[in-house]
Amino acid sequence: MLKKLIVDFAFYLQTSKSYQARKHFYENLLNNNKYKYKKYLDIFMISLIFTSVTVLIREVKHPIHDYLFYFNSYIISIIFLIEYLFRFWIHSSISKIIVDRAEHDSFLSRDINLRKAFKKIIQVKLSYIFSITAIIDILAVMPFFHELRLLRLFILFRVFKLFRYANSFQTLASVLASKKFEFFTLAIFASVVIFVSSVLIYVMEANNPASPVNTIFEAVYWSIVTISTVGYGDVVPITHEGRIVALVVIIAGIAVLAFTTSLVVSAFTEKIDEIKEIKTVEDITKLKNIYLICGYESLAQDVAKKLQRHGNSIIILDVDEQRIATAKNDGLTALQYDPGEMESYKKLHLSIEKQVKAILCLHEDDVANVYTALTVRSLSKDIHILSLLMENSNRKKLEYAGINKLVYPQELIGLITKELVGQPVAFEVIHELRSETSNVNIAEIVISDRILESYSTVDELGNKDFRVVLLGVYKKKRGHFYFNAMENTLLEVGDFLLVIGYKVFIKEFEQHLHTRLNHE
Amino acid sequence: MSDTTALIFGFNNYSVEILKNVENEYDSVKVYSLREDNVKTEGYSIGHFDLSDNWQEMEDEIDIEKAVAFCVLEETAENVFLVISLRATYENLSIIAVASHKEDANKLLMAGANKVIPLVETTADIITNMLENPISNDVLHEILYEESALKIAQIKIGKESHFKDEELSSIDWSHYNGIIVLSVMHKDMKSEFIYSSKAKRHVIQEDDVLVVVGYEQDIQDFEKKIGSNRYVSWNNWSW
Repeated sequence: MLKKLIVDFAFYLQTSKSYQARKHFYENLLNNNKYKYKKYLDIFMISLIFTSVTVLIREVKHPIHDYLFYFNSYIISIIFLIEYLFRFWIHSSISKIIVDRAEHDSFLSRDINLRKAFKKIIQVKLSYIFSITAIIDILAVMPFFHELRLLRLFILFRVFKLFRYANSFQTLASVLASKKFEFFTLAIFASVVIFVSSVLIYVMEANNPASPVNTIFEAVYWSIVTISTVGYGDVVPITHEGRIVALVVIIAGIAVLAFTTSLVVSAFTEKIDEIKEIKTVEDITKLKNIYLICGYESLAQDVAKKLQRHGNSIIILDVDEQRIATAKNDGLTALQYDPGEMESYKKLHLSIEKQVKAILCLHEDDVANVYTALTVRSLSKDIHILSLLMENSNRKKLEYAGINKLVYPQELIGLITKELVGQPVAFEVIHELRSETSNVNIAEIVISDRILESYSTVDELGNKDFRVVLLGVYKKKRGHFYFNAMENTLLEVGDFLLVIGYKVFIKEFEQHLHTRLNHE
Repeated sequence: MSDTTALIFGFNNYSVEILKNVENEYDSVKVYSLREDNVKTEGYSIGHFDLSDNWQEMEDEIDIEKAVAFCVLEETAENVFLVISLRATYENLSIIAVASHKEDANKLLMAGANKVIPLVETTADIITNMLENPISNDVLHEILYEESALKIAQIKIGKESHFKDEELSSIDWSHYNGIIVLSVMHKDMKSEFIYSSKAKRHVIQEDDVLVVVGYEQDIQDFEKKIGSNRYVSWNNWSW
């Protein structure tokens, strides 16, 4: 009966959307560095830690207010305890272990063995309790028992909690961990030198009444101070034999120090690209309205610059190291990932549909563009893909790959030439309108609710007063452009006004549309 | 059109596209390649040329001074050399060249090309417009390149035009339904936007060019009303 109740309850929790959503929320809040609200919790906890340490330092020589004392001992401890319990809860799912066991046993037509499930639960939870971070967490709660003065020193364990909240500490730890073996070897070498030199100095000096080395502790102290090249000078050998030992220890100390320095430097050198890449990916998750440019050859370089000038976020993916270096030098976010590989997008942790405006396949190679387009299309059916077409014979292949818009430069040159020889002045005028460097521009102004409140027809807009030409109105609902729209044309939300004029006048006209709320 | 021959130097994807687009505009189109093995490929009859200054063979066939030359050699250095050779020999030849970058475009202009199309910059501009201003891009593309009813035209002010000697700002364009005047171009000035301060004070003179947008019929009516004709000659103008 009890067994059935436990299994039913576990199934209920596993299938309860609200319970799972809540648990997922806390998982993100406590453990997911990419979750946007986690940083607020981190800042809050770091503030508590520093408050706690400040109070500890202050109370050494000054009396502190009771409320501060209780805040430090109780409130902060309780907050840390709550955090500890939440982490204990989300570390593993008890209900999942029970459900898995129940399904496993049912599948094999056996009676459900809850004992095995509980055994596993205990194992999993104990593995959390005895993890280093969990131990630090629980020790940081200890100052709650402030009556025991020693336990108040446990406040210092709160400082170790910083490792959990500050990413840079984690990065530092991971960098040093990459040289675990080398550090271990160094530690063995240093220990052996310290041990041998301590024994030697003790043997050489301890029987000499004038020597400051009288105990093995003093010998070890002297060895460590010497090998670390600190050399306080409070304990020094006075016998010849002792000084010979000192010479050996000094030389060994230089070796140890040099080895340690080179280890740390090489660990950072090797990991620096990886660290930068992690940081870049983290930054990318915060971006919106991204243009993802695949391939960074000459055309892509120009497109990226122009799109960036429009205030868009640009990400460059290319397998070529040199081109990625160029992109970085151009001040762009660039990653040496293969845009044709699914893995690249997984590593980016990018929500293509939510964050990306369009994907531009700008390799100067149709094969690479088809491959990239197919990869992207398999990730998202709706994302807008624009691609460069190098050979007209490949047009259909690129269309089959799901590319929305193809740009064939050779065709453009043909069309431009035709217009150029036919109507050079008109061509120049249109070319100027499109050019970023020109003062006269064509712009799209979208009709918003706010604009519509004041202006319902074309003749009310007053564009001529702002020396702006209204080329026409694009009716979004009908998908049609009405050139030189009649004065009584009704405007609707979502319509676009196509205006031509000096940038500054267009800007003023746009401001005028947004600010004039009531008809005079 | 006063030019009756188009000379395309270089045989590649660019020249094929240029050929397709301009063959109806000229009485004859001649394609020349530096490579002898390109002659008579893909259905085109292609002549051979080299970068020496021997244009006699061409001169025998056509009046080069009155032709338009399209220089689309793939090697930039060769293209520059070709342009400078043509300009050195034919002072009045109209030369249009294609360059990959603006840097190369400047060299070609210095070499004497009348107009250079920088491929990368132009394509990048078009891609940026496609993404950032899709509606205006489509409209402008349609006006310029598609066979749509909406046209852009340049209208030359003739002797008989009643706009002659009138100040641009004094003209009420609303009388000319369906027409939008975008800019005016005087013989010795650059194209000026209709609302610019220079254009406002400008007195319309013979041979000025108005750039207008409108439907074909409206443009024709406009031409009749103002007593001017559409202007199509290219080679009097250079930038």
